[in-house]
Amino acid sequence: MLATGRPRRTTLIMAALVAATTTLTACNSSGSGSAAGKVLTLWHYEAADSAMGLAWSQAVKDFEAAHPGVTVKVETKTFEQLQKTAAMVLNSSNAPDILEYNKGNVTAGLLSKQGLLTDLTPEVTQYGWDKKLSSNVAVTSRYSNGVMGSGDWYGIPNYAEYAMVYYNVDLFNKYHVPVPKTFADFTAAMDTFVRNGITPLADAGAEYPAQQYLYDLALSKADPAWVTDYQIKGKADFHDAAWSYAATTLADWVRKGYIAKNSVSLKATDMGNAFESGKSPMMVSGSWWYGTFESEIKNFAWGTFLWPGSSLVPGSGGNLWVVPSKSGNKQLAYDFINITLQKDVQDVIANKGAVPVAANPADVTDPKAKELIQNYDTLAASGGLAYYPDWPVPGFYDTLTAATQDLINGKDPNSVLGSLQTAYQQGLNQ
Amino acid sequence: MTVAAAAGRAEAAAPDRAARDARRRRGRRTGRGYPLFLVPGAILFLAVIAVPFGMNVWISFNRWQGVGPMTWIGLGNYRRLLADSVFWSSFWHNVLLIVAMAVVPTVLGLVVAAALFDYLGKKFGPRTASVLRACIYLPQVMPLAVMGVVWGWILAPDDGVLNSALRDVGLGSLAHDWLGDPRTALYSIMAVLVWIQIGFPLVVFMAGLQRIDPTLYEAAELDGASWARRFWHVTVPQIRPEFYVVLLMCTIAALKAFAPIYVLTRGGPSYSTDIPSYFSYQNFFEKTQVGYGAATATVLALITLVITAVFVTVQFRRRDDEEV
Repeated sequence: MLATGRPRRTTLIMAALVAATTTLTACNSSGSGSAAGKVLTLWHYEAADSAMGLAWSQAVKDFEAAHPGVTVKVETKTFEQLQKTAAMVLNSSNAPDILEYNKGNVTAGLLSKQGLLTDLTPEVTQYGWDKKLSSNVAVTSRYSNGVMGSGDWYGIPNYAEYAMVYYNVDLFNKYHVPVPKTFADFTAAMDTFVRNGITPLADAGAEYPAQQYLYDLALSKADPAWVTDYQIKGKADFHDAAWSYAATTLADWVRKGYIAKNSVSLKATDMGNAFESGKSPMMVSGSWWYGTFESEIKNFAWGTFLWPGSSLVPGSGGNLWVVPSKSGNKQLAYDFINITLQKDVQDVIANKGAVPVAANPADVTDPKAKELIQNYDTLAASGGLAYYPDWPVPGFYDTLTAATQDLINGKDPNSVLGSLQTAYQQGLNQ
Repeated sequence: MTVAAAAGRAEAAAPDRAARDARRRRGRRTGRGYPLFLVPGAILFLAVIAVPFGMNVWISFNRWQGVGPMTWIGLGNYRRLLADSVFWSSFWHNVLLIVAMAVVPTVLGLVVAAALFDYLGKKFGPRTASVLRACIYLPQVMPLAVMGVVWGWILAPDDGVLNSALRDVGLGSLAHDWLGDPRTALYSIMAVLVWIQIGFPLVVFMAGLQRIDPTLYEAAELDGASWARRFWHVTVPQIRPEFYVVLLMCTIAALKAFAPIYVLTRGGPSYSTDIPSYFSYQNFFEKTQVGYGAATATVLALITLVITAVFVTVQFRRRDDEEV
C-alpha cells in the first residue's frame, strides 16, 4: 500500500463524516427579544387576510387605543415553525409576551406540563372569560398534568371549528337530489351521483380529510361517553361497534364509488380544489374552508348541512392564546386576550366566515355566516363537538393517515383496526 | 591524491548537507505553524458536527419529549428500533433510493456523458453538447420543493399530466394512481429521483472525459474499435476515479434524502415510501419522542459512515493495486 493513500483516505473519511452528520444538526431556532415595558411582543400564524388575521389587527388597534404608549409588536410565524420550535423558544429568554399556539395534549398540554405556560385560571375568573366560552369549547383550554379536559386554564380561544357537509347546490338541482335530512337520504343522494358517473364525496387520503370521514362514521354510532373514553381517558376499543362500523363502511363507500379509490395520495388542498372547481358535489370537512369558499367560489351556489343522523361531529375550540411563563408583560397580555373576546373583534371573525366563540348571531349581518354560527351554537349547547381523531396520543395523525390509506386501498378493515389499537396503546405508554 | 580528492569532495559535500539540514530544520519549524490554520475549521467542526452528534447520541439513550426532564433508559430506544417493522421497511426503501440516486444515475450518467462528449459533441459541435448538458443538469439547481409540487401535478391521479398524456395516446388502461398505490409509489419516486440526480454524474463525467488523452481514442479507432468498444475499453477505465467519487457522493445523498419524500408522499401510502430520515423527523417533531428519533438518526449516521468507509477502502485498494 502506498503511503500517499493514508492522508487522503483520512481526509475523505472526515469529509464523509461531515456530510453524514450534518443531517443530524439541521435544527434552527428563531426568536426575538421580548421587550419589557412598553412593547407587547405577539406571535401568531394566521394569514393577514384571513378572518383571524383581520380580527387580530382590529384587536391590536383596540388594544393600542386603550393602552396609550404601548406598542404591539406583531411577528407572523408559520404554523410549522411554532409547532416544531415552540418548546425550545419558550424555554429561552427569546419567548414572546403572548402567542397563538395549537390546542391539544401534545402541544399546549405538553408545554403546560413542562411549566412553560402561565396558569390563566385567576384571570379567567377576574375577566369572566369562562362565561363567554361554552364548556365544550373550554375543554381544549384546560389541562391537568398535560391532559386536556379539566384542571387549570392555560389558553383562551377566539374561535371554534366544526366539520360539516359542504354541497354544490347547482349539482344537487341538476340531478334532482334533495338536501339530506337523514343518513338514508345521504346515501340515497350519493347513489344518485354514482349512477350519473359522478364521485359524490371529495376526499384526500394523504392528509386529515380521510381520517375525518372515518371519525364522522364512528361518531354517528357513538355517544359523549365514547368520545371521553377515546379522547381523554385513553380507553378506546377499536373493535367496538362504532369503530368496526366506521372502518367497514368507509371500505364499503370506496367500493360503491362514494369516495374515489385514487384519492389515496391527494392532499387537503386537492380536495378543496375538487369542490371549488365544481367537480365534486359534496365535501365533508371543517369550518376553516368556509371563508375561502365564500370568497373564491363564484360560478355555482353552495351550502352546508351537518352530517345527517349524528349528534356528534369533529370540532373543537380553535387555537389558543397562551402566555409563556417567561413573558415580560403578563398583565398587558391578559388585557390583549380580553380585547380579542370583545364584540367588535368577534364580529370581524363572524363576518369573515369563521366561527367566533363569543358573538351573538343577531349581530351578524351575512346570512351564510349566521347559519354557520347558529349550527355551531346548536352543537356547542349540546356538547356535540367531538374533537379530532388524531388527538388522543402523540403521532396518531400519521397512524390514522396510514390506516385510512390502507382502507381505501382495500386492506381488511379488521386488521386496520388492529394496527390502530396497537399504535394507540403504544402512544399511551409513552 | 585520492585522499585529497576525497577530502575535497567531503568538504564540498559538507555545506550541501548543512544546507539540507538547515532546510529540514526550517521546514520543521515552519511545519509547526500549520496546525494553527486548522483551528477555525476544527472549532467549526466541533460546534456544528462533533458536539451536536455527541448530544444526539446522548439523547438517544434517554426518553425525552423535547422539553422537561430526560429519563435514562440505556439501550431501550435501540431495542425498540430493532423490533420496529416500520423502521426496517423504511431502511429497505432507503436501499432502493440508493439504486435510484446513486447506481442508476451513475451508470446512465456515464453513458449519456460519453454520448454527449464523444458522439453529439463531435457531430453537432461542443456548443450543442454544452446546452444539452446544462438542460440535464437543470434539476440539480432547482429547489426540491418546487420540483416536488410540479411532479405532484404530473403524477396526480385524475388530471395529472402523465395520466392525461397516457389517455390521449390511447394508453388509458395504463393510467394509474402513481403515488397512491403502495405498489407503485416508491418506484414513482425513484423515477423522479433519477431525473433529479442524473445531472451531477453527467457534469463530473464530462469534465473527466476532457482529461482523457485523445490519442487513446485515436489508437483504438485505428485498431478498428467500435464506439461501444471504445467506451468500454478506454472511457470506463480512464474515468474510474470520477466514478468512485460520484458513486460515493450520490450514495450519501440518498441516505440523507428527506425533501422528496416530505414533499411528494410524506412516507405514505401506509408507510410504503417511508425512509429512516423521515421516520426520524416524525419522531423528533411530530411524535415528540425525541430519544427514539435520536436513536434512529444515530443508526443512520453510523450506517452512512460504514458505507463510506467501505467505499473509500475499496477505492484506495483498487488504486493501490493499479499503482503497484
